Amino acid sequence: MSDAMQSSAPVLAVDDLSIALPKGGDRPFAVENVSFEIKPNEVVCLVGESGSGKSMIAHAVLQLLPRGVDIVSGTVTVAGQDPSKLGGRGLRNLRGGNAAMIFQEPLSSLNPLKRVGKQVEEMILAHQRPAPSMVEIHERVQTLLTQVGLPNPELLEKSYPFELSGGQRQRVMIAMAMANRPALLIADEPTTALDVTTQRQILRLIDDLRRERGMGVLLITHDFGVVADVADRVVVLRHGKVVEQGTASEVLRNPQAAYTRELIDAVPKARLADIHATIVRPEPLLEVVGLEKTFRVKRGWLQPPREVLAADGISLTLHEGETLAVVGESGSGKSTLGRMIMRLTEPDAGAIRFGGADLRQLRGEALRQARRQLQIVFQDPFASLDPRQKVGDAIARGPMAYGTSRAEAMAQARQLLVRVGLSETAAGRYPHEFSGGQRQRICIARALALKPRVLIADEAVSALDVSVQAQVLALLAELRQEMRLAMIFITHDLRIAAEIADRVIVLQRGQIVEEGTTAEVFTAPRQAYTRDLLDAIPGRDFFDQPGFAADARHIAGIESGIDAV
Amino acid sequence: MTRLGSAAAIGLQAIGRIAQLVAVILVIATFNFVLVRAAPGDPAQVMAGQSGASDPKLLDDLRREYGLDKPYLVQLVSHLGRVVRLDLGYSYRQRRPVVDLILERLPATLLLTVTAFCLALVIGTALGALAGLAAGSVLDTVFTVLSLVLYATPVFWLGLMLVLVFSVTLGWLPPFGYETINVQLSPIEHALDIMKHMIMPVTSLAAIYLAIYARLMRSSIIEVAQQDFIKTARAKGLSGSRIVVGHMLRNALVPVVTVAGMQAGALVGGAVVIETVFAWPGLGRLTFEALLQRDYPVLLGIFLILSIVVIALNLLTDLVYRLIDPRMTTGAA
Repeated sequence: MSDAMQSSAPVLAVDDLSIALPKGGDRPFAVENVSFEIKPNEVVCLVGESGSGKSMIAHAVLQLLPRGVDIVSGTVTVAGQDPSKLGGRGLRNLRGGNAAMIFQEPLSSLNPLKRVGKQVEEMILAHQRPAPSMVEIHERVQTLLTQVGLPNPELLEKSYPFELSGGQRQRVMIAMAMANRPALLIADEPTTALDVTTQRQILRLIDDLRRERGMGVLLITHDFGVVADVADRVVVLRHGKVVEQGTASEVLRNPQAAYTRELIDAVPKARLADIHATIVRPEPLLEVVGLEKTFRVKRGWLQPPREVLAADGISLTLHEGETLAVVGESGSGKSTLGRMIMRLTEPDAGAIRFGGADLRQLRGEALRQARRQLQIVFQDPFASLDPRQKVGDAIARGPMAYGTSRAEAMAQARQLLVRVGLSETAAGRYPHEFSGGQRQRICIARALALKPRVLIADEAVSALDVSVQAQVLALLAELRQEMRLAMIFITHDLRIAAEIADRVIVLQRGQIVEEGTTAEVFTAPRQAYTRDLLDAIPGRDFFDQPGFAADARHIAGIESGIDAV
Repeated sequence: MTRLGSAAAIGLQAIGRIAQLVAVILVIATFNFVLVRAAPGDPAQVMAGQSGASDPKLLDDLRREYGLDKPYLVQLVSHLGRVVRLDLGYSYRQRRPVVDLILERLPATLLLTVTAFCLALVIGTALGALAGLAAGSVLDTVFTVLSLVLYATPVFWLGLMLVLVFSVTLGWLPPFGYETINVQLSPIEHALDIMKHMIMPVTSLAAIYLAIYARLMRSSIIEVAQQDFIKTARAKGLSGSRIVVGHMLRNALVPVVTVAGMQAGALVGGAVVIETVFAWPGLGRLTFEALLQRDYPVLLGIFLILSIVVIALNLLTDLVYRLIDPRMTTGAA
């Protein structure tokens, strides 16, 4: 990728850019005095946590800033033009012409009611003068869809976004962006919503297109793993200011700013040396035998339902104090497994033995008592708290349902909030007053209020920034040891599984394809599917270098939890 | 699944659907029956009272004649039996088949409600879309206040006020009726005459729905404007009008269609009031008259027909919904 360093005019030059936030925000500027350049055929990564202002810069390039947020000083030059000086037509020609953009969430970024072929077509129609004939346009759409590696473009062109997978949708977005051979591609967290294998494919596709066309790419990410894989140069942002910039290898190997070091260290890493299979196991706490579940998805009125196999004879055991990671791509049935163990989804067949009883046979009060000991933390901390319920109530409600007095439950709730790293006063506030990471801490406190023996974490850190992820994982590791919790950690991110789990189960289409201790699965995977998943981890080549792995031991707070188990 | 098997499955599903509909209609018919009988008095009492001789013998005779002396359950069963045979029976009072009475009145009501519905939908969504696109502007404020006023105005009051202004004071429009009687008119003049008679009833009936659709469309447009795919459309370099027509309108229409479909049935309820105010010779007035006379077969017949219309409208809404939103056809949300 270092072949990208050519000495031609930059496709994007951002010079001393400052963007003001509306009055009354938590800071006056979204972005302050930011300067960087992207040359043709170069990938520049803009890295920072949420709120660092990286998306604002991307939006400023195409004049897409939200109302009330304005550029107050500095200039942006895209392919020799200043977008802020272009009006109407000129700006429209730039957008999608010389500079195209793709976004984080490909489903919501495509019009749900328009066939994807039409949406790509529209991009060509809006820019090509004179307008090409319909036959020509159709051919171009077909070529574009083929170039981004979509199977069966004839059929795909006629599909609606909801009929495609996440990866396919992002490919459609890329095909659309490529339609007019832009000099600059702006990709705003293009893989954050995708699972690891898809992420790798999309990053490769962007990189291939960049190479083929000599495009400049501005890639926005919070993940240094992604940086290690694709970046030529890196700009690290914090609170709207550049803390460090340089070539990818300089910044990764020899970060100058402490904050950069922090971000790099936050990338979860396999800590195989630290994980011991020490526990002499008595009877398993939880035993799942032959779980089966097929979903029947209703289609139109007169069509037979489609069947989706979510669990095909899954068996597993979980011991006290143990963490089991359940890993797989989206659609592999991992969340369904978690929900079936909680008995939130009824399995078709199989048994769930917990504390000497089969959970599936329990009814009424017996089931209620058993449920208390199994708790779950969900992926989206924004959706899983009632926005109209104070945090203290949300936590106390559980114990109160099991007969604890309100006063006692609230006292406990306050203690728990302190334990998960928030203050007692948090109890009187509403969920929207907290950040994503803080909300996930609240969700953990809520789950722990019932003193469960098993905690199921369903993608519990996937929606969080890498650095916040590291903190929440550290908290979970501590709590696990303190409360002798058994944990089932459901994730698509193998780095996280490697960091926290004692044992790993790999799921594919409702079946366990591989199972073993974390060290076994990560160092000597037996299945091709597992190897694929491992290869897909972003930045793996870089972060698995021996020199780097040694440094990784110093991540604050995490090792204490894991070493001791 | 084999081709034959899936064909059989589709057949079974279709039969299941139809069975469901028949069951729904029978339940509604039962409910209507109970509802009508729950009103105090019966047709015999009304008739005997009107003839001025309410002696018990006359009452008994009348009741025997109409079969009202039999136990409720027997009456209900024979009613449901007729429903299944699509036989609506005879009117006690007018001594004519109920089907004839309804068919005679149905066109006038359809003319009134369908016109009002279409106008409300088209004008309401157009105004709502304009207000939504210009959210926060003076235009938006004016539209919003206007629709609030329309929404809060009782249908009958609006009708009476229109009559007061346009017929009584200004003398521009005929105050009631469906057409001018006792005049010879060419077909075109006749059509114009009917249209003139329609203006006020249609306006009164449409007002509230126009307001509802306008408000709904406004908020729907505002919501769609914030969606990610609108940002995509802007990043693609599309012009403002292209974004509105190509990406916003159809998406914004989805909730409006849902509500409009649900309310199309309620529109007929509004028609009862309006037809009474404007002496419009439609089903609404027939209902009102039958109610006063406790003419059970007519009432039950009208209710049944209206129920079927509402069910049909719901099916139609489902279909329109599928046309607008492809996600509905596959059951994925």
